[in-house]
Amino acid sequence: MIKKMLLEKVLLKALSNGADFAEVFVEDTFESKIQLLDRKIKNSIEGNDFGAGIRVFYGTKAIYAFTNNLSEKSLLAAADAVSKADAGKNEILKIDLMSEKVISPHKIKIPFDEISKSEKIDFMRKIDNSARRYSELISQVNVNYLEKVQKVQIANSEGVFKSDERIYARIAAYSIASKNGEMQTGGDGPGAFKGYEFFKSINPQKLGEKVAEQAKKMLLADYAPSGKFPVIIGNGFGGVIFHEACGHSLETTGVAKGASVFADKMNKQIANKCVTAIDDGTVPNLWGSTTIDDEGNPTQRTILIKNGILKSFMIDKLGGKKIGMESTGSGRRQSYKFAPTSRMRNTYIAPGNDKFEDMIASIDFGIYAKKMGGGSVLPGTGDFNFAISEGYLIKNGKITKPVRGATLIGNGAKILHKISMVSTDLKYSEGMCGSVSGAVPACVGQPSIKVDEIIVGGRKEK
Amino acid sequence: MFDKEFEQIFDIAKKKNIQKFDVFLTQENSFSVKSFRQKVESFKYADSIGLGIRVVIGNSAGYAYTEKLDKQSLETTMVKAKENAEYIETDDIIEFENYPDIEKKLEIFHPEIEKVNVKEKIEKVKLMEKSAHNFDKKVVNVPYNSIGNDKMFTKIANSKGLQKEYVGNAAYGYAMCLAQGGKETKSGYFYKISDDFSKINSKEIGEESAKKALELLGAQEIKSGKYPVIFNNEMGADILSTFSNIFSAKAVQDGLSLLKGKLKSKIANDIVSISDDALLKNGFSTRPFDDEGYPSQTTEIISNGTLQSYLHNSITAKKDKTKSTGNAGRSYKSTVTISPSNFFIKNGTSSEKDLYKFYPKCVEIVSLSGLHSGCNSISGDFSIGAEGFYYENGERKYPVHNFTISGNFFQLLQNIIAIGNNLKFNMNSIGSPSILIKTMDISG
Repeated sequence: MIKKMLLEKVLLKALSNGADFAEVFVEDTFESKIQLLDRKIKNSIEGNDFGAGIRVFYGTKAIYAFTNNLSEKSLLAAADAVSKADAGKNEILKIDLMSEKVISPHKIKIPFDEISKSEKIDFMRKIDNSARRYSELISQVNVNYLEKVQKVQIANSEGVFKSDERIYARIAAYSIASKNGEMQTGGDGPGAFKGYEFFKSINPQKLGEKVAEQAKKMLLADYAPSGKFPVIIGNGFGGVIFHEACGHSLETTGVAKGASVFADKMNKQIANKCVTAIDDGTVPNLWGSTTIDDEGNPTQRTILIKNGILKSFMIDKLGGKKIGMESTGSGRRQSYKFAPTSRMRNTYIAPGNDKFEDMIASIDFGIYAKKMGGGSVLPGTGDFNFAISEGYLIKNGKITKPVRGATLIGNGAKILHKISMVSTDLKYSEGMCGSVSGAVPACVGQPSIKVDEIIVGGRKEK
Repeated sequence: MFDKEFEQIFDIAKKKNIQKFDVFLTQENSFSVKSFRQKVESFKYADSIGLGIRVVIGNSAGYAYTEKLDKQSLETTMVKAKENAEYIETDDIIEFENYPDIEKKLEIFHPEIEKVNVKEKIEKVKLMEKSAHNFDKKVVNVPYNSIGNDKMFTKIANSKGLQKEYVGNAAYGYAMCLAQGGKETKSGYFYKISDDFSKINSKEIGEESAKKALELLGAQEIKSGKYPVIFNNEMGADILSTFSNIFSAKAVQDGLSLLKGKLKSKIANDIVSISDDALLKNGFSTRPFDDEGYPSQTTEIISNGTLQSYLHNSITAKKDKTKSTGNAGRSYKSTVTISPSNFFIKNGTSSEKDLYKFYPKCVEIVSLSGLHSGCNSISGDFSIGAEGFYYENGERKYPVHNFTISGNFFQLLQNIIAIGNNLKFNMNSIGSPSILIKTMDISG
């Protein structure tokens, strides 16, 4: 990584035209990916990402440059470029970086390089075999293995100087069921802030069966009805509704620009009383957890909504400066190629008191969206859209047959008021969240929830 | 450029007795500036290099990449690529070749773009934001806008003696604004990419984005049912983009595309032709060769409704006993895959007006949400949120929102009943004119 003296020099150079703040982020990342498709190891690729990003603030204006030539000459040239993008009055002549040891609560037991590649591949094959054994309808299985070790160094003109190591393990499996020219998919992608012990904790047979079962069920399913109905959104990945429709609008990225429906709603009722939502970076070894954020701030457990009332945004340094609030340790970025901005960590709706059975029993005609697909939200308006990847019809208070091809569409701010029941079965689900500062590991999560009315786009009239 | 590093890699290969390999390097230099409330909000400069090595042992290709270009890192990368190759099981046949150059001279690097100074770009982005605001009082915010330029240098070499490089650049501008009417907020987005900064007209981009948001105000709900639907040119391109992978020979061979076995058969209505043209004048993906060094060409994918070709790289072509179409795609971090170049539905003969009055009633779609989640590229099924306009007898009646359109892409190709002559490319260089679909399910 880079020596303290050079970092101090680079920071001073970046401030030389009177900037208010300067920061250097250095990254050295090792990543390895293996893909098993068609019963064969199709890809095995590993590599090293290495570079630095330099950022300065002039007021609330941010200037960012990155380079992966980390020679003194090149770093100083990049620092010079950012400093000259504007001019300010600030005069800083000396920076003393205070090296601070970061103690991570996320313990790692088995480093990836202690395990042979053959063992990793054997684990993948077990998932593949199990999915194929589950049903003759399974025509394809795709298993993807990921390990990643990201070492970072963060230094800024306020004297912060910290190093951190983030370790990620993930296994994603997809299966395709096909019959008479039609195909449907099932998938799951668990992951953690852990070493190889994570893969040892996963039962490959069960994972294979799970993704095969989902694909088979959806292949044999009828098309979903369309219209406005009550919907039960299942636990775990169902939390994507909150993540997409509300979570992004609670990041300062949107709030500071007034491009969020929640911008002026602090301490106001924005959701039904049964809704409490939390963004938590402190859960040990959870996929979206952090120790410090990418600006060097310690991570937090941030209560966003308490009993329906908006309590906090997710705040990074620059966003905090713009809206006059303290950082919540939410400054994140995919890599040195991105300037950090406020991002989610593990964002979930807290468990409530309702029983799942009571929730189903309360519906005459509706949908149980057991598993959601991905989604997107239009920033500014909060309009969202996401797919149901495993759905069931509810009739007269009972779950009946599986249905497919449905989409939920609505508006984040409005839907929060329509959540009327929250169950006890909180579960997290791992994913990659994409935004202006790239794709970062994040968990969505929730217990099963009931939304009284939402537009379901399907292929059939009710 | 990077001759020294490439020489070192060839030396390392020799020393380690690695005989079959290729090297792929890109260097990207980019700049962008954003404005918010007439102040510069952010600046970004980027300078990044990455190098990927593929080593082939027997039929198996292993990959590794690095962003450090010192000799030690290059050696580690070479060794890792070789190790990875040892685990790969494949019946692919990879043969490197020293492919010839194309004859045509492409104009893909425009030195003038690099000469425009930062100050001019700042003026441009501010004017763009201002033009959106000034267009109408209802425009309340222009939260996302940018002016920028990108330069990309690509160099490829392989153990058969191929060594080629090219550099391309482009300038762009985009604005996304929010318009408010009563309690309703609508957004509008407009962009332009060009080989010339002077063609990035700030006023036009700002005003067009404003117009697009304003037009959608006062939207009504629409009754569920079956309607003829027009995808305007931008949405046509986005939907084609979402499903473009079905044309990849790799997807076909892997059993991930329903176009398997459909070559030379009718898969779309007679009026539909789709082309992939890496030589297109002013195309954003125009290039002299693909990411294996294979010379660029123009490929007819669908001619008058009949599927003529898949998109091939040299590996899928060998498997199908045909020739590559020059569609190898790769980044230094990825394996060689297939990607379209300038990929588009060809212009038809109808004016936009003709499309609106084709049926007594129809819905025009101008915005789609949830494309990446609501579309299943394998089954072709889609169900996505949409906004647009309702037409009667060729006349725009009112904007419509809060509905989903659902259908199947393979059926959609058969149901294209008329095609406009307003071809436009999106930022991923996938293009379409406005297209009229006989019938689609709408649920509101």
